[in-house]
Amino acid sequence: MVNLNTVLPKNGRNYYVALGLEGSANKLGVGVIKHPLLAEHEDGDLSFKCESEIMANIRDTYVTPPGEGFLPRDTARHHRNWCVRLIKKALQEAGIKEPSRDLDVICFTRGPGMGAPLHSVAIAARTISLLWDIPLVGVNHCVGHIEMGREITGAANPVVLYVSGGNTQVIAYSEKRYRIFGETLDIAIGNCLDRFARTLRIPNTPSPGYNIEQLAKKCSDKEALVELPYTVKGMDLSMSGILAYIETLAKDLFKGNRKNKTLFDSKTGEQKIGVDDLCYALQENLFAMLVEITERAMAHVNSNQVLIVGGVGCNERLQEMMGQMCGDRAFGQVHATDERFCIDNGVMIAQAGLLEYRMGQATTDFSKTVVTQKFRTDEVYVGWRE
Amino acid sequence: MSQEIVSKVSSYLTPHVPLNLIAQGAEAVVFTTNVHPYLPAKDSSNKSYIIKYRPAKRYRHPLIDRSLTKHRTLSESRLLAKLFLIPGLKVPQLIACDVYNGYLWIEFLGEDLPNNGGFSNLKNFLWMFASSDPYDPIVKETLIKVGQQIGLLHWNDYCHGDLTSSNIVLVREGFQSWQPYLIDFGLGSSSNMVEDKGVDLYVLERAIVSTHSLFAETYKEWLMDGFSQVYRGNGSNGEKKLKEVISRFQEVRMRGRKRSMIG
Repeated sequence: MVNLNTVLPKNGRNYYVALGLEGSANKLGVGVIKHPLLAEHEDGDLSFKCESEIMANIRDTYVTPPGEGFLPRDTARHHRNWCVRLIKKALQEAGIKEPSRDLDVICFTRGPGMGAPLHSVAIAARTISLLWDIPLVGVNHCVGHIEMGREITGAANPVVLYVSGGNTQVIAYSEKRYRIFGETLDIAIGNCLDRFARTLRIPNTPSPGYNIEQLAKKCSDKEALVELPYTVKGMDLSMSGILAYIETLAKDLFKGNRKNKTLFDSKTGEQKIGVDDLCYALQENLFAMLVEITERAMAHVNSNQVLIVGGVGCNERLQEMMGQMCGDRAFGQVHATDERFCIDNGVMIAQAGLLEYRMGQATTDFSKTVVTQKFRTDEVYVGWRE
Repeated sequence: MSQEIVSKVSSYLTPHVPLNLIAQGAEAVVFTTNVHPYLPAKDSSNKSYIIKYRPAKRYRHPLIDRSLTKHRTLSESRLLAKLFLIPGLKVPQLIACDVYNGYLWIEFLGEDLPNNGGFSNLKNFLWMFASSDPYDPIVKETLIKVGQQIGLLHWNDYCHGDLTSSNIVLVREGFQSWQPYLIDFGLGSSSNMVEDKGVDLYVLERAIVSTHSLFAETYKEWLMDGFSQVYRGNGSNGEKKLKEVISRFQEVRMRGRKRSMIG
């Protein structure tokens, strides 16, 4: 039996308030979330129905010029520069005047992610923890995504497809852990899309993936499709080969290499394929692979709900394909969130952290708040579920 | 949905082929029928056949879907045909295939176990004995034979990809003897990599432990006995390769199939 009210709110309040700090990649997010203290949470698994209220959700993205990715050092500097400003703004937006009195817990991302950015945000979290005398909870980034998705969509026990710049995993809950059923064997899907965008000099604002999606929509001849490798291995997939192949095509396109028969007509030398066709083909191919492994996992665990989380999850084409797959399964449902919650944010860290706090998992011992770049989703003990 | 597929399949196969849906997975739908695709009707009336159909997926681009269906059906039927020729290895016989439409026509194996024990795959077989005598000599003999089949498959550099106790069918031979057959090579491949073989054994171990946990230790021992017999029967080279496979199997078990963390 799960009792989410193990730890009661501070100062006899009838609600919990948590501050969440996220900075595992190029986004710095600060969020404040409020959970009412509900009697029905005392027994049974209702962790997907916290009736949470989002008091603030601000994000600042470190954007690099086209053709460049974000480097750990520069990203960490960005986070250090903006962290205090964002925290102040979030507290103001949430109407919190006295943080040491009004906050129950401070949550921060412990991993996985880039070392330097993680570290800079963790230091900020420790500082305000000392300043205001509030306990800390280190949150697994992936679990943050899953818990936020469950709370927003109300999906009780879905198969989770977690797709972002650093992760590609198909996850299902079983016996107090989020188990990984399938995942990428090499690079993550977001990484694949970002690197492709870099080769093509597609702008990084608002995000490379979004721009690829818009270009793909412009593809004029959707009947024809540039053939790409399709590399699903059981429930796992591999994307580095696809990236290498499509990058060669992209480079040939830029150089105008007329010997490439996929791109240019061998007789007239006319260009057959444009940037938008490549974007379209890449999306179709990668997303078909994702949907396929998700379907496998659903058949395996006998589930009919899917939840898509992570930055790539706000791609409408991916949501559409997932919807078609679920439509063909008995009682299939697909849940997805919009960019506010799909893309890394502080609220999701606050949500997962607050659940952990309510189960009595907070700490004031800084030796337990060390960040880690490698932090598997299934390492987390999910105490708040049955 | 499944009704849609059934009507599509029956319109493709014409009304002369009666269909009976027996299983639906993520990738394929399996039917039984009593009609042979090309033999005269009188020879085949008593026998059953399996039709495995890979339906088109709406979410995929039609070009991707077509090439995948073709590729997968073709590789599965090639694999079945090759495995059938290996002496001693028992797999169902391939009868016909239509790779462009995603149909495989395979020999039907197995029967229903007595006392409503269900279909005679290894899983139901072990369940049946679990209530009377889980360590019956027949169980031992059968599991050693299963181990031999897997050993033979690996020795010939093929991998199954999805070894579970429900993907092993038992065919009665004589009064109290059963011959195991390996089925469903949808994820199978030809591979001489020790890694793939180790993963195969690990997947089987997980399947045995999760469905027959009480007796898993002994069952695993018997399976490995049969597996080793095949390798040891091939002299010092076999001995060497057996060591490689087993040590990799233990390594895979240690890391739980997955690599620790990537990118």
